[in-house]
Amino acid sequence: MMRMVALAALALALAAGVASASPIGVGVGAFGGLSYPVVQDDVGNGSVYGLRVPVRLLPMITVEPYWLSAKMDDGEEVIGGITYTRDGFDNKGYGANAILGHVGGGGGFSFYPFVGIGSHKLTREGTAEIKETAYNFGLGFGISPTPKISLHVRGEMNMVVTGDTSRKFANATVGLNYDLIP
Amino acid sequence: MKNLRWILPTLALVLLAPGCILTSGQILIDFDLPSITATSSTGLIGEQIDLNDNSDYKDHKDKLKDLADFAVLGTFNNTGITDVDVEVWMTRDLTTLTDASVVTGTGIKLWGPLHVPAGGSVSIDWDGSAKLFTTAGKAAILQEAKGDGNFTLYAIGAAGTYQFDVDKGVLALVIDVGI
Repeated sequence: MMRMVALAALALALAAGVASASPIGVGVGAFGGLSYPVVQDDVGNGSVYGLRVPVRLLPMITVEPYWLSAKMDDGEEVIGGITYTRDGFDNKGYGANAILGHVGGGGGFSFYPFVGIGSHKLTREGTAEIKETAYNFGLGFGISPTPKISLHVRGEMNMVVTGDTSRKFANATVGLNYDLIP
Repeated sequence: MKNLRWILPTLALVLLAPGCILTSGQILIDFDLPSITATSSTGLIGEQIDLNDNSDYKDHKDKLKDLADFAVLGTFNNTGITDVDVEVWMTRDLTTLTDASVVTGTGIKLWGPLHVPAGGSVSIDWDGSAKLFTTAGKAAILQEAKGDGNFTLYAIGAAGTYQFDVDKGVLALVIDVGI
């Protein structure tokens, strides 16, 4: 049910943008950074990288399909006096974020919140893969030194649903966007 | 823009709903298995587990949703003269069974087999152990975790005559809980 509501909300955000006659802007970007497990005793810190394609539908609304790949380090726990390690997850996924703001070039600064939904796959040794819906939300800060290039720093929570709970990852990333259109 | 007035709050509500995906986590709880041994198929000593002995479990018991991961850890020492495939079984209550046939007749296979050569030892790591858990075993432990939290573990040989013990045995459970 919650998934349906979120999908409907995102679809409405997309529809609102498409209905507009405003000029569309399209860019492409790459990002990388750190990924931290949130309240997960059996997973270590890791790294994340990926691609984004921001599509500006309205002056203040951007829809941004993404693909990401994260490799979490092994979880390490002392159990019964012995240090054991558990294989960290590989987190791969794609989806789209709805951004309230402008993330393209053109000079100046931007500060924007975003929410998103995707399909992510978590794999680790000895456990069946988890392929589920993921929800994202976060804040971004952008600076554009040239008309077509912008640098973005983002803090994001990525939550991969596991039944009634989720595996959560806090991602801190730096990325570069290049505006293709206009 | 008007749509955003309710789209973003709706998404926020979905994510923040009580006991939902945002307010949850995976917490490790572990239990020592100091006394599990098998001197023969009729000479078992099991380990009674009361999950309520673990403070993390007690704190989150009413918000427990699932088992995220699990492992039987330790060093299995085969003190017999033939190879043994070790299995761990559980009974849903606190029991003191000594006969493997009674354990397999009344219990649920939780984990295994782990092959231990005659006269040898095998230390099982977390990754290797996680894949030896059975689906029925996971379901049974989850049921017990959501119930009274009491059950008994037995280590037995899959077949033949055997004799082994477990050094620094531990049952590790990663529980999915609401926070």
